[in-house]
Amino acid sequence: MKSRCSSISELLDKYFDQEVTPEERSLVEDHLPSCPACRSALLSMENLRNLIKSPVEEAVERENFPWVWEKIERGIQQEEKPGLWESLWSWLDMISLRQKKILIPAVAAVVILILITAPLLYEKISSYPDLSVVEYVESDTYNVMIYEREAPRVTVIWLFEGPEEEPLTS
Amino acid sequence: MRRKASFFVILILLLSPLLGNVAFAQVQVRVRVMEASNVGSGFDSSLRDLHDQLGSLFSFSSYRLLKDETVSLSLNHPVSLPIPPERSLELTLIDQHRVTAEIRVKITRGGKELLTTLVRLAPGRSVSIGGPKRAEGTIITALSRPKTTQE
Repeated sequence: MKSRCSSISELLDKYFDQEVTPEERSLVEDHLPSCPACRSALLSMENLRNLIKSPVEEAVERENFPWVWEKIERGIQQEEKPGLWESLWSWLDMISLRQKKILIPAVAAVVILILITAPLLYEKISSYPDLSVVEYVESDTYNVMIYEREAPRVTVIWLFEGPEEEPLTS
Repeated sequence: MRRKASFFVILILLLSPLLGNVAFAQVQVRVRVMEASNVGSGFDSSLRDLHDQLGSLFSFSSYRLLKDETVSLSLNHPVSLPIPPERSLELTLIDQHRVTAEIRVKITRGGKELLTTLVRLAPGRSVSIGGPKRAEGTIITALSRPKTTQE
């Protein structure tokens, strides 16, 4: 009997946790009415569980953990945004542009676009936009003067061929 | 290997506009010689653009066209043409950067150098050289580059 009680008491933990097989359950439940020690052991387990479970459940019911959600949301917002290059690559991944069949025509299109637009852009950029149009003036014989006006753009090099000559300025 | 070749082809294509810039094309320069004076009034219609410019600087009432010629300049190849009064104008394309041409201008009389200057001319810009006096007016030589050229 004692050995039977001993083997049943080993099953009590599993029985309490509802992890026993139907056969084991029958064994335990047949044994319990005739064994005060095992009943007492089972009762202790239930008391212990209630002792732990009740305060925890009460505390959980009282608390709705708003700070936890706030922290999670803050964490999501503060999460570092991906860089431009990463975004571009993820976009390329998304539309499967990495596949050669699409990538090569795409690169060719970009190159053609650059070739078409580049000369137009270069034309827009004048070489010396704001500099004088006269680089230098030399005359061993006569005095020389340069007149320049921006609006309207006028550049005149005046060559004084005689000491008496003066331009007729307004 | 194929990848490298493709890369260089693309690189050359991308740089082609810049390479085109290095190649020197012919530059068209319009030479107009006029007599500006206060005798009478008016101006030749082919001087309209210059009249607006020079009118803001000088008080001449009349601009009379004496010569109008367009020359094509190649790099380092001087082009000479006679201009009134009894002078010679020599133009040499020295350099070209994008649309702007660097041109050396020499005015001589009987082989004697009167003026040497280096000017940068972009399409639409002009440089005028005033002098000498003649009769009642003054000779002005205008160098300009047309805005729409087939250079």
